[in-house]
Amino acid sequence: MARIRFTNVNKKYANGFHAVRDLNLDIEDREFIVLLGPSGCGKSTTLNMIAGLEEVSDGDLIFDEQVVNYVPPHKRDVAMVFQSYALYPHKTVYDNIGFGLKMRNASKEEIDERVQDAAKKLEISHLLDRRPSQLSGGQRQRVALGRAMVRDPSVFLMDEPLSNLDAALRISMRAEIKELHRAMETTFVYVTHDQAEALTLADRIVVMNDGVVQQIGTPDDIYERPANTFVASFLGSPPINYFDGVLEAGPDDEMAFVRDGLRLVLPADHAARLKGQEGRAVRLGIRAEDVAEGTAEPGYNALSGTVNSVLPVGSDQYLGMDFGGEELFFRVGKDLRHAFGESITLAVDLNRLHVFDRETGQSLIWNAA
Amino acid sequence: MPITPPVDTIDYRRRQKIGRIVQRLVIVVSAIVLAAYILAPVSWLVSSAFQTETEIVSIPPHWIPEEPTLRNFEAIFSAGNDEPVTYETRSGADPAAGDFIPSTAENLLPSMANSLIVSILVVILNLLVGVPAAYAIAKIRFWGRNASVYFILITRVIPDIALVVPFFLVIRKLGMLDTLGSLVITYLAITVPFTVFILIQYFEGLPDELDKAARVDGCSRLQALIKVFLPLSLPSLVAVVLFTFLTSWNEFLLALMFTQTSASQTLPILLASFTSDFTVSFSFLNAAGVLAVVPPVIVAIVFERYIVSGLTAGAVKG
Repeated sequence: MARIRFTNVNKKYANGFHAVRDLNLDIEDREFIVLLGPSGCGKSTTLNMIAGLEEVSDGDLIFDEQVVNYVPPHKRDVAMVFQSYALYPHKTVYDNIGFGLKMRNASKEEIDERVQDAAKKLEISHLLDRRPSQLSGGQRQRVALGRAMVRDPSVFLMDEPLSNLDAALRISMRAEIKELHRAMETTFVYVTHDQAEALTLADRIVVMNDGVVQQIGTPDDIYERPANTFVASFLGSPPINYFDGVLEAGPDDEMAFVRDGLRLVLPADHAARLKGQEGRAVRLGIRAEDVAEGTAEPGYNALSGTVNSVLPVGSDQYLGMDFGGEELFFRVGKDLRHAFGESITLAVDLNRLHVFDRETGQSLIWNAA
Repeated sequence: MPITPPVDTIDYRRRQKIGRIVQRLVIVVSAIVLAAYILAPVSWLVSSAFQTETEIVSIPPHWIPEEPTLRNFEAIFSAGNDEPVTYETRSGADPAAGDFIPSTAENLLPSMANSLIVSILVVILNLLVGVPAAYAIAKIRFWGRNASVYFILITRVIPDIALVVPFFLVIRKLGMLDTLGSLVITYLAITVPFTVFILIQYFEGLPDELDKAARVDGCSRLQALIKVFLPLSLPSLVAVVLFTFLTSWNEFLLALMFTQTSASQTLPILLASFTSDFTVSFSFLNAAGVLAVVPPVIVAIVFERYIVSGLTAGAVKG
């Protein structure tokens, strides 16, 4: 069991690259935290600092009440699953799984019991005598999980463990990892750039970019109440649509987003948060799924344009729309039938609009509280 | 309508077939010529070691001895048992029969032992120094890492002959002239850079995640090296062992400078001295040559299956 705390942690490399900046993060015991962000955002570096594989340049990394900045990896009670699995090619599956226990001087009986137990749980008992080269990707992944779970560590670290698997296997492994977390009752820190993994697995998500934490919150917080345009853009498929305009006050404390030929009246709670901001240059965000084909009056709480692409994706379809020269993408039901070049009007779900400052990209609604 | 192949196709097919036969022929003939070129001197060395002096100098030469004899080897192993070989004791001997054995013949087996001791020590010390150095450079990020690789490489750019005088001065200052230690130290200076370089290439080819996984699994850096990296690096380690062993076994220039007596003379020095004696006994010299070849051949045969893969793995970052 472990609670992990980052206090003003920075990671700078010898070549001057500042990988992680002023990281403050409190990971609760038994929590499932997902570090999410694009390549090079510092999420793996953060994970490696927890493992002790990267030194903390500045600040404190605390396990429970102990500062572990200089504690080597083998003295921290952590286990890690790597993207490339990192199985020892010269050892059998049995020896791979049991290696960590052997290094901790566990008795042969204990090693055997735990390895057999882990293999049974992961359904790889029949593979114990094989070498990694004789296994499929999914089997290797299970061995890597087994190697980590057999030690019953305080902290379980995973660095993009599913990214080498095919789509179907990835989804089933996601469920298994979730179950593993429930069964092991230990702290999980999981790194991924896949928003779907993050949203399905995490208790809380930490979104990072350029070494800086953009937002920390539950999957709902992150998706429904993004703190800035980066977070809003990173989650959602197709990505959120933006267009620029200004805020305009109306009667009865009304607040509307206005641009050429378009007026979207913001709901009362948004308007209350934006009070006094009239005239401000803003960027409006509409998630792809937050529209419906409606009977709304064109230009008023609705977007009108022409269809310039229709991409069926099975359960629904992506609709590309030319809106005053800007291309917007929406996700609509597959029953809608539209042809290229056709005019279309889509009613906007006003309660789900996102308003960001045009300069800073910060949310004016969710950061205003 | 039936499709008829264009006439050209048949021509091309024949040409391709002939081309393939010619290609194979060229490869086989070249291989035979190359093998003959390499094996001829060795074959002659082995054949003549079993011939008498008279047979060796006969024209045309006998590639297969007509009267095979072991007396050359007997002479080697019994050298020193009889009275000392001097000009006087040999004045009655018949040169044509090969009775002249070199005055330093009795040093042959001790010099072989010297060569063996030096070579084995150089191999062991190379691994002890080179493996951790290569691991550190390949897997640990530290200030001056690239510079140290270049520095190591630069030492191999300097020709050995340019190092002889500085080495000599240092060895003399250390009071190590005419000792095996002088050879071990100088051979290490020559071979360690190669060892480190080839192992760096190999270690860099092994995924960083293996190192990380081992350390998270409970290994210290040294344990990760010993338990994970070394078993996986066997081919390149064998390449290093062979290179350092053969280099030390065959080295001549430095050994000539630093050794003066049988206490430290190695085999190449002694064999060379046989050719500058009162009279050259080819039969004895060739038998000694065969003995000199035996240890490297044994080492090569034992490690043969690893040689090619080891060198390739070290040369190409995989």
